[in-house]
Amino acid sequence: MNNCEEFRKLIEAYALGALDAEEHAALQAHLSLGCSDCTKAIEEARWVVSHLAYLAPEQAPSLTLKDRLMQTVRAEATAPRRPVLVFRPRAIWTWVGVAALIILTLYSGWSTLRLQEQTRQARDSTTEAERDHRKLQEQLALTDREVSILTDPASVRIGLQAQNAQTPRLEAMWHSQLGIVVSGQQIPVPAGSRVWQLWLIPKTPGAKPVPSLTVRPDPDGKFVLPVFTPPKLIVETKALAITEEPAGGSLQPTTAPRWIGGIS
Amino acid sequence: MLLGILNSTSQREVPPEATLPQRLIHKDVKAFEQLYDLHSRTVYSLVRRIIQQSSTAEEVVQDVFLHLWRNAAQYNPEKGPFVPWLLTLARNRALDHLRLKSERQRRREDVTAVMPQVAIAPGYEELLDTKRWTERVQTLMGSLHQRQKQAIELAYFEGLSHSEIAEALKEPLGTVKSWIRNGLQRLKEGLQAAS
Repeated sequence: MNNCEEFRKLIEAYALGALDAEEHAALQAHLSLGCSDCTKAIEEARWVVSHLAYLAPEQAPSLTLKDRLMQTVRAEATAPRRPVLVFRPRAIWTWVGVAALIILTLYSGWSTLRLQEQTRQARDSTTEAERDHRKLQEQLALTDREVSILTDPASVRIGLQAQNAQTPRLEAMWHSQLGIVVSGQQIPVPAGSRVWQLWLIPKTPGAKPVPSLTVRPDPDGKFVLPVFTPPKLIVETKALAITEEPAGGSLQPTTAPRWIGGIS
Repeated sequence: MLLGILNSTSQREVPPEATLPQRLIHKDVKAFEQLYDLHSRTVYSLVRRIIQQSSTAEEVVQDVFLHLWRNAAQYNPEKGPFVPWLLTLARNRALDHLRLKSERQRRREDVTAVMPQVAIAPGYEELLDTKRWTERVQTLMGSLHQRQKQAIELAYFEGLSHSEIAEALKEPLGTVKSWIRNGLQRLKEGLQAAS
C-alpha cells in the first residue's frame, strides 16, 4: 500500500475506529508524512461518523444527574482562583517575592514527594491488610470445613492403629463430600525433615496406594491433617495408612506403614 | 463539498447557542446549564446505547460534561462544530468504559488530543436541531440494507473492528469493508444534501 488512492479506501473505517491493527498502522504512518488530502478526508469522515449517535434510541437522563452536575459546577465556579503574579523587575521586594516563591516551590515539591511516599506506604499497608484479611478468610473457611467434617453425623470414623504398641493411635473422620481429617496427640515427630504421609488403599485388588498429603506434628506431638478428597472416593477406598517419608512426600510408600485403619 | 457549506452558512446569523462552549472557558455556569439542557439527551442516549446500563451510563455522562466544564479550552471552534466534538468525546468515554481490548483502544483516537476538524462554519450544527438530525440520519441509514446497517452499528456502538464484525456476522472480510465504506459515503452524501 504505497499511494494516496489506496489509503483513501481506509478513511471511513479509520474515522469509525474499525480498522484492524495492520491497516490502522499503515494509515497512521501515511498521515505522519503530512498528507493534507487524507487528513482533510479524515476530518470530514469524523464529522459523518459523529452523526451515527442519532441512531441511538432517545432517552433522558435522570433529573438528579443535572442536580449533581450543577452542584459540582457551581462549587468549582465559585472556588477562589489563583492570583495572577505580576513581575516588576525594578522593585527590590519583587526579588524577595521571587526568592520566597522559589523556596515555596521547593518546599512544595518536597512536600509532594513526601506525600507521594506516604501515599505509597499507605497503599502498601492497605494491600498487606487485604492480603492478611484474605488469608484469614481462607483459614476460617478451612477451619469451618474441618469442623464440619469432624461434627457431621454423615462422617465415617476410622481408627488408625499404630504398628508399634507404644505409639498412640490416630483417628480419622471422613465425610464423603467434604474430605478427611486425621488427628492425634503425642505423636512422635519424624527425624530431620522427614514427614508422615497419608495413603488411601484402594479396594481394587492389586491397585497401588494413592498418595495423599504429608504432615509434621508440632513439638507437642499434636497431629492434624485435613485432606479434601474428591466426592465418593471413600467408596473406592478400603483403608487408610500412614508411612514415614522424605520431606515433600513420595509417589509410592518407601517405608512400612506406621498406622493403618480399615474403612467399615 | 463541505467547503460549500462553509460559504453558505457563514452568511447566516450565528445562533446564540454557538457561543456557549466559548463561555465555558470563563466558567459561565449559565452557559454550562444551557449546553447541558441542549445536549444531555443526545449524549445520554448515545452513552446508554453503548453501555446498556442506566446508572453506569449516567456516570459516564457526568464524566463527559465535567470534562467539558473543566477543559473547555480544548474545544477550538475554528477547527469544527461543537456537537460532533462532544459526541465523539462521549462515544470514546463510553467505549473506554466497556474496557475494550487494548488493541481496540489504541485504534481509537483520543479526542481530547486530536480535535475533530471539520470544514464547516462554527454554529452550523445548531442550525439543525436534534430532532431533524435524528430523522435525517435514521432515514439515510434506513435506506441501507439491514446487514450493512448492522455492520456500521457494531463498529460505532460496540467498537468492533472489520475482522471482528466479519466474524460476528459470518460474512467475508471484504464484504464488511465495502459495506462500511459505501454506507458511510452514502450517509455523507445524504447529510451534505440535507445541508
